[in-house]
Amino acid sequence: MDFTLNDEQRMIRDMCREFAEEEIKPKAEELDRTAAFPYEIIQKMAKLGLLGLPFPEEYGGAGADFLTYCVALEEIGRGDASVGITMEAHTSLGATPFALFGSEEQKREYLTPLAQGEQLWSFGLTEPNAGSDSAGTETHAELEDGYWRINGAKSFITNAGTDMTGGVTITAVTGKQPDGHKEITNLIVPKGTPGYIIGAAYHKMGWRASDTRPLSFEDCHVPDENRLGERGDGFRQFMTILNMGRIAISALNVGLAQACFDESLKYSRERRQFGKPIKSFQAIQFKLADMATEIELSRLMYYKAAWLHMQGQPFTKEASMAKLFSSETAKRCADQAVQIHGGYGFMDEYPVSRFWRNVKVHEIGEGTSEVQRMLIAKNL
Amino acid sequence: MLMMSIGQFDVKPAKAGFVAKCSEALRRGLSRPPSSSATHPTLSTNHNLEENPVKIVVCMKETPSTTVEKSFGPDMRIERRKEDAVINPFDEYTIEEGLRQQEKHAGSEVIALCMGPATATDNIRRALAMGADRGVLVTDPALAGSDAIGTARVLAAALKQIGFDLALFGSAAADAYGGVVPSAVAEFLGMPLLSFAGKLDIDGSTARIERQAEVGYQVAEASMPALVSVVKSINEPRYPSMKGIMQAKKKPIDTLTLANLGLDADTVGAAGAREEALSAEKVTAQRKGEIYMGNEGAADRIVAFLVEQKVL
Ligand SMILES: Cc1cc2nc3c(=O)[nH]c(=O)nc-3n(C[C@H](O)[C@H](O)[C@H](O)COP(=O)(O)OP(=O)(O)OC[C@H]3O[C@@H](n4cnc5c(N)ncnc54)[C@H](O)[C@@H]3O)c2cc1C
Repeated sequence: MDFTLNDEQRMIRDMCREFAEEEIKPKAEELDRTAAFPYEIIQKMAKLGLLGLPFPEEYGGAGADFLTYCVALEEIGRGDASVGITMEAHTSLGATPFALFGSEEQKREYLTPLAQGEQLWSFGLTEPNAGSDSAGTETHAELEDGYWRINGAKSFITNAGTDMTGGVTITAVTGKQPDGHKEITNLIVPKGTPGYIIGAAYHKMGWRASDTRPLSFEDCHVPDENRLGERGDGFRQFMTILNMGRIAISALNVGLAQACFDESLKYSRERRQFGKPIKSFQAIQFKLADMATEIELSRLMYYKAAWLHMQGQPFTKEASMAKLFSSETAKRCADQAVQIHGGYGFMDEYPVSRFWRNVKVHEIGEGTSEVQRMLIAKNL
Repeated sequence: MLMMSIGQFDVKPAKAGFVAKCSEALRRGLSRPPSSSATHPTLSTNHNLEENPVKIVVCMKETPSTTVEKSFGPDMRIERRKEDAVINPFDEYTIEEGLRQQEKHAGSEVIALCMGPATATDNIRRALAMGADRGVLVTDPALAGSDAIGTARVLAAALKQIGFDLALFGSAAADAYGGVVPSAVAEFLGMPLLSFAGKLDIDGSTARIERQAEVGYQVAEASMPALVSVVKSINEPRYPSMKGIMQAKKKPIDTLTLANLGLDADTVGAAGAREEALSAEKVTAQRKGEIYMGNEGAADRIVAFLVEQKVL
């Protein structure tokens, strides 16, 4: 058993840590306050190859392995969760479907500019009436004269409406299977397709610098060549994408938890009460010890899930466990970070109040904690 | 005691076609200089810069990260831990400048040269990830304890063996701040050093720099092969890209020992050091504050203070 990262993984981790420290952290407060999409940062990341880490070089990626991508994400997320989720949603949800299920032409046309970071892409699964129950999809599409006519709506879609966005891949009901279940197919809808309407960005309590939109489709037509993989393969495809995405989200959770710890350690050394730094009080030390322990555990959990995936072994249960535990770790860490900061932690001047607002959605996005527990239970 | 006969910060006297053009360009203020062709109509006008490949060696030192706690060993030298070793922050600019010159002069080669422990390959890899083509590590147990002159002797021998048009240095190392290595290497090689470059242009076989002074800047040039030390204002170092990192492992790093360089062990390392650290003390940060009370011209005094500190 070997827990050491290899040379590339270490170099990429260190580089991302440096980038987060120098390029992301100093801007995080303003981005959050103004809810402005971080174009400048994302473009710098694109240039460095951070938006195409796990994709083959022949499609413009960096050719890194999945764990390396996750480790990079942890560091970027440690700098800022909004930037982290933008990178995660683009890579895991936007680009990965093309890499896994796209035809050669689709990989050239769509994956390459995404891996190079020239464009962002989004994945639309959630609907007003289909959240945790993703099989409840209502958006439907009918094939007519070689074109899919799409009608329906999607909710909370990350990266759907930025100036850099190329489009969205959506799940749509395209018929009934012999067993009576819905037949779900994934369709590629480029931005600008008539009938594809991108709504105004939501106002959010966290991840405020990330782009989240409602989408609607009104007789939106895309050619059959915009079908991703086989007709009826949509459910299997997004299950695979979400399973892998959960590992990536776990890395993001660890990054956020680590940021909470970093700030807490720093503050507890500086803040003096009763004539001593508050770090000298055992009550504070125990909080820090618990945070550090749970962070370590969460990190090992996502490392292992990523490793299983890279070995070609089943990882659904481990990915859900990692996602569940790391998001709840991040929540506890954010909570304790504010507590350690006292009244200052409640103020916008300190980053921990932002961490506290950001962390909530980590227990909701890409499968709620309840859904993770259901998935784990199913796999016991 | 450190004994040195060579000028530390000065341009070397004319050698190998070296010209120092200072007076003309020395002007007040920080206005950008006019383009070099306008300033120096007599200079060679090789506009076909792309056709002018240059062999560039960037010298980089490993130093302890500036953010870690430092401690001194019994020899009064900073204790070095492998985990804390980073590329000397000044040398990030050196590497960047080498890469920028390579981008301007197609076909150029950038070689990262480091004298250091065997583990310095990690940091050489970082230079390779930034874009350097290959690395050379000079490492030998006998090198431990080298002073600036010993280091310069080794670098000079390595540079000679590698061969170069341009050897780039940082203006100092963040651990020792001696700042003498570039000039000492120039002395050993008998080559010109253009020191403290804030801008570097290669024009045919000429290297030309601008050196920022308080009242303006000096233009100095030398024919290559030449040495140049750069200051931080010269560029903005890049981060290694993901592709750069993935490719770095495929790039060669050659290792040279003292024997390979034909140097005697007693001329370098602790044995050859003429410099001896007598004592070392930690700097203790002192907070200095002055309190000006209101209604006694406090505002004026604060403004005067800020002007003095060059904040305003
Ligand atoms: C900022 C943000 C970005 C997002 N980005 C994307 C995106 O890019 N693409 C995308 O497709 N989606 C995205 N989502 C949607 C996200 O995946 C869903 O919000 C999530 O899956 C939950 O669905 P829901 O909001 O409809 O909640 P519901 O499913 O309505 O859940 C409500 C509550 O009921 C619980 N619950 C539901 N069913 C059960 C059950 N069977 N047993 C026990 N408890 C249950 C849930 O756990 C939750 O606590 C995003 C969401 C947010 C907030």
